[in-house]
Amino acid sequence: MGYTIAEKILGAHAGAPARAGEVVVARVDFSMIHDARAENALKQLEKLGAKSLPHASRTALVLDHYSPPPTPEAANTHIAMRRFAEERGAVLYDVGDGICHQVLPEGGHLTCGDLAVGTDTHSTTYGAFNAFGTGVEGTDVSAVMMTGCLWFRVPETIRIELHGRLQPGVWAKDVTLTMLGRLGAEGANYKALEYGGEAVAAMDIDDRMTLSNHAAELGAKAALLEADEKTLAWLKAHGAREPRPVRADADAAYAQRIEIDAAALVPQVARRHQIDDVIGVPEVVGQKIDFALIGTCTNGRLDDIRQAAAVLEGKRVAKGVRMIVTPASRQVYLAALREGLVETLTAAGASVEAAGCGTCVNITGHLITGDDQVVISSANRNFKGRLGNPRSEIWIASAATVAASALTGRITDPREVAGGTWRAAA
Amino acid sequence: MSIQLIRGAARLLPEAINTDVHCSAKYLPGKDAAYIAQHAFERVAPDFVSRFRAGDVVVAGRNFGINSSREQAVHVMRLLGVAAIVSPAFGRQFFRNAINNGLPVVECDIAGIAEGDALELDLPAGVLRARERNIECRFAPLPPAIQSLLEAGGLIPFLKTHPDWKVA
Repeated sequence: MGYTIAEKILGAHAGAPARAGEVVVARVDFSMIHDARAENALKQLEKLGAKSLPHASRTALVLDHYSPPPTPEAANTHIAMRRFAEERGAVLYDVGDGICHQVLPEGGHLTCGDLAVGTDTHSTTYGAFNAFGTGVEGTDVSAVMMTGCLWFRVPETIRIELHGRLQPGVWAKDVTLTMLGRLGAEGANYKALEYGGEAVAAMDIDDRMTLSNHAAELGAKAALLEADEKTLAWLKAHGAREPRPVRADADAAYAQRIEIDAAALVPQVARRHQIDDVIGVPEVVGQKIDFALIGTCTNGRLDDIRQAAAVLEGKRVAKGVRMIVTPASRQVYLAALREGLVETLTAAGASVEAAGCGTCVNITGHLITGDDQVVISSANRNFKGRLGNPRSEIWIASAATVAASALTGRITDPREVAGGTWRAAA
Repeated sequence: MSIQLIRGAARLLPEAINTDVHCSAKYLPGKDAAYIAQHAFERVAPDFVSRFRAGDVVVAGRNFGINSSREQAVHVMRLLGVAAIVSPAFGRQFFRNAINNGLPVVECDIAGIAEGDALELDLPAGVLRARERNIECRFAPLPPAIQSLLEAGGLIPFLKTHPDWKVA
């Protein structure tokens, strides 16, 4: 019986073949702590009391959730993080540099075949680069900085095959929302996902990152894609280490196989409060919205901003709608500036804010909703009250759907508006 | 403390508990662990803390700790003196945090176990007994690597005595 990608990567890092269900101690290539978890991580490190942390140089500290810091306590956490990075030789990404899951790949810290951990559930993002990325806590990263390794329970894998190509106006976000509707939130708890098929091959890196990132809402431990020429070219352009691509064996043992007709998918939306209450956009058109948000580690990349600009070029967002765009990183922001996208969006009435976690969750006070107000967002979670007011609603959709809805003030199918089927030239 | 054989009274909690919500300061900024411990799980099991005695075993419905990632939930449960948690399934990150903080977590069927039942948990053998109800459930024993972490009281105390921990 063959091996899955998850089994192969964990096995290679444990120095012996690994099977689903086993527990292994494995070498970790890169780790990450972000500011919302740094206080706990630094506390655990203090408890550990290690004289030297030889693997700190392969750890990034990222100041993204408290970006900018909303309280003196958060600002003090930032001071402690900067000091720690300086003293221990860890990599630092400061306020405004961007979201951890965007700056790690952009910084060349990850490559195919890697095993990486971060203090955030969306660390699954690194699977887009054929790296096993998973979320952990402060104790875990402390152990990694000291010893370079960590224990892992080897996950079973669900293989998802996306047949055919996504239609214009339909994105990776819509694929994940479809999966959430089918499996339910946490429907893949403990498990790794493998995505493959023609639709994945046709996706650009930005959309593949969405696929791996958003798997966190399915409860996935990792979400792995195979590497192709696009992956290798992207990694090379970002100065990544030599890739070690890992493919699943044809006779790998899967917990489940799911076949999706990608060509038949239409834009999807998760309705208020529940990420797995998913419905096709055509069935809810007309729902009034007050806010349109594009950003986060799930959909704040250049292709998302391009989708929004294609819809809003030469237009204005609907009267009464407030639109905020938060690029995932400084690099994404710069690229959007160079392409004129920031000007297009600003002229259309949107605010383009500094890179960071921004409007994903009510930490910074970037956006506080009023009673009965409705938000449509390209983020990943819509728990009641996530934006600070349990009497408001958050609906989740692709950047194209968010932009089309901003234009009309009502949830709108992007395929029904000019520019809504924009797609990067192949 | 030996974690080989654990004896304690069963304290029941419902399924799909998010420990970030019910046992951490994630939504109660500024509150310390002692305060959280006094109010742990009160919204899902109002008399939980008043019944709980150090050494009791939490018996939770499936997906205990789902959606939760805060390590503090385990710190609080240790502060309460939780001896072990038994559930048919745990949230992934909660499971990690429990092991890392020396709190035994056992994936096992809990059908038939009632509030206050005297439980016996034999970790190396992989058996859960509620003798007065003639319940004996078998579960896959935790792998040796995990048992050593639990024996040490968690990953950090383990590393203090095993600073050269590495891939076998």
